[in-house]
Amino acid sequence: MRIVYVDNNATTRIAPEVYQAMVPFLTGDYFNPSSMYEPAQATKKAVDGARREIARHFGNVDPSEILFTSCATESNNTAIQGTAKANPSRRHVITTAVEHPAVLEVCRELKRSGYDVTFLGIDGDGNLDVSEFIRALRPDTLMVTVMHANNETGVVFPIEQLARLTKETDPSIVFHTDATQSVGKIPIDLAGEYRHVDLLSFSGHKLHAPKGVGALFVRKGTPCRAFMVGGHQEDGRRAGTENVPYIVGLAKALSLCMENHQEEEARIRRLRNRLEKALMERIPYIQVNCRNAPRLPNTSNVSCHYIEGESMLFELSREGICASSGSACTTGSLEPSHVLLALKVPFTAVHGSIRFSLGRYNTEADVDRILEVFPEVVASLRVISPYWDEKTNSPVSDVEERLGKHH
Amino acid sequence: MGWEYSEKTKQLFMDAVQGKPGTHLGEVENPDGLGEHGSIACGDALRFTFRVERNDEDPTQDVIVEARYLTFGCTSAIASSEALCAIIERGRYTPIEALKVKNSDIVEYLDGLPKQKIHCSVMGAEALESAVFNWAQRRGVDLESLGVALHTGGEDEGRIVCKCFSLSEPYLRHKIQELNLRTIPEITGAIKAGGACMSCHHVPGGLQDLLNEVWGEGPKTLPLLTTTPPPVAGLGPPGVSPEEPAGVLSPYQFAKKIEKTMDQYVRPLLQKDGGDVEIVDIKGNLVYCALKGTCAGCAHANQTLKMMVERTLKEMVDEHIRVIEV
Repeated sequence: MRIVYVDNNATTRIAPEVYQAMVPFLTGDYFNPSSMYEPAQATKKAVDGARREIARHFGNVDPSEILFTSCATESNNTAIQGTAKANPSRRHVITTAVEHPAVLEVCRELKRSGYDVTFLGIDGDGNLDVSEFIRALRPDTLMVTVMHANNETGVVFPIEQLARLTKETDPSIVFHTDATQSVGKIPIDLAGEYRHVDLLSFSGHKLHAPKGVGALFVRKGTPCRAFMVGGHQEDGRRAGTENVPYIVGLAKALSLCMENHQEEEARIRRLRNRLEKALMERIPYIQVNCRNAPRLPNTSNVSCHYIEGESMLFELSREGICASSGSACTTGSLEPSHVLLALKVPFTAVHGSIRFSLGRYNTEADVDRILEVFPEVVASLRVISPYWDEKTNSPVSDVEERLGKHH
Repeated sequence: MGWEYSEKTKQLFMDAVQGKPGTHLGEVENPDGLGEHGSIACGDALRFTFRVERNDEDPTQDVIVEARYLTFGCTSAIASSEALCAIIERGRYTPIEALKVKNSDIVEYLDGLPKQKIHCSVMGAEALESAVFNWAQRRGVDLESLGVALHTGGEDEGRIVCKCFSLSEPYLRHKIQELNLRTIPEITGAIKAGGACMSCHHVPGGLQDLLNEVWGEGPKTLPLLTTTPPPVAGLGPPGVSPEEPAGVLSPYQFAKKIEKTMDQYVRPLLQKDGGDVEIVDIKGNLVYCALKGTCAGCAHANQTLKMMVERTLKEMVDEHIRVIEV
């Protein structure tokens, strides 16, 4: 069966060019970059080259401001916990209610250990309220950590604006952004528009590099202590032997993303828009979440009323379509995604969400295949649903009563 | 999270989705029993209906002959609903007998369910119970007088802490207080929370955190040793209990009193057996002692210190004293 992979916000296929770039360092050039002998110098050069290449894509920042880590989760932990450790006198953190768990849980952990944390909400379109953000800044605010693009809905927050507001209010406040979903999709100039961002996290496997490598941008002079302590690698800011092949792969992957960025973005946006338009036409009681907010071009999050996401995924999977859902049964907990809850998606639809996230290797044929399968899946599950009347193809006439019994 | 469903579970789900003949998908018209459990907001909901063959003389002898379901939920919720109906029809149970069908029977019928999906089978059992209750009302059967106990499960919304049994933070908080639950095993025993995969015990926001929050305790870390002596009773003749009007002793007086008590009551006893005890240091209420003579290296040394020295000091000087062997 042909696999239609539309879960690129979860992970991506390794680009063949990336794999090729990594091979020498998985085979012959295995030396430890910290070693003194001649062959090791080549691996050190490869790491330095990757660092320069990545720095270049962020607006020619100083290469020493790029730290390599194992993943975005590690980058986020380093950024948040490292900043907290370096500034014990400030005890207030600002974040949002829709962060990835790699930020949200770290903030909750700070809160449990006595920090005051402000979790900013979003409106029904998925946007932050900037005036609420400004109100949240306090004299004892240690840091702000706000994601760039949301992994579930694709909504892009105005990081450049929030960072500037933060720094103009109080230059001591550290500004961090988790840019895992946006790096490679949105150009980020850390020397220009985004110059007020102090810390920026991302990982490789969202941009066609392998899993197990990430990076953290740390602007010079940012008070942030090491999270991984040990050897002197990365100037003592991140201990542990450099993962040379993966670091090389990460740099290659980012370069590939940036090379054809404009055409790719337009192509993927067209695919996504076509998909959404057709789904809206063919499926009753469907909504596209956050469609009025600025969004990543590749992400489409739809909610189907009166059916549940996990069973939709199961049926899609049987047809070879790989997507994801924010429904309770797929989040690993039993509540639906915190993002959909924060969006106040109606409770009849909050469990019925499906996220299609397109990528470099998706084609028109993939969209055709989804359009062939998905409306059928929705219809067959609605037959089973106690809230749907097959005959009229609409909710049962006493749906309010049936729903109301438990509310 | 991948799908770890049994073949049987997948098959039942697919049969239902494809509307194969023989499935129990649907709704009995003018049912004799209707039960619902769950809600769309909670992520799964089951509408369960059955029809009975009526026994006009004795309604308790009605036999369930047809069972149907409509389900909003995941793969295993739909398969569990199908299993429930199949079990009920196969058994030709009276409604009261049907109550003996438990969620474990559904799990068995499905050749097992992933741990975190057990609640799907619970939903089946709960909907069945509520349908039987509904039947009893329609048929004028007094379940209580027949000794049939029905409990109506309270569903609370909120962050799910115990995933295996689908128990939310507000529900757990409420039960911890209501039932005065103080430890994780107590919670598990009373309301099953944390009893299956146990992953919610010590994670951030887990059962231990809830216990700490409800009972106002900090995280369980090593207590700090007090370095200042606690208030102690004033000097008095031996045998006078510390409940007597007490003043606060200075560290000097506190130490002196300990020494005096040791000299007067403890050492003479030990010396009789050729032993002795020496005070090495006193920090707050901690008295560091070294045993001497025959007591040193004696197998009962620790016993001696705890039972005799500490008890005497607690009684004569201050009940907070702890003796530590050097």
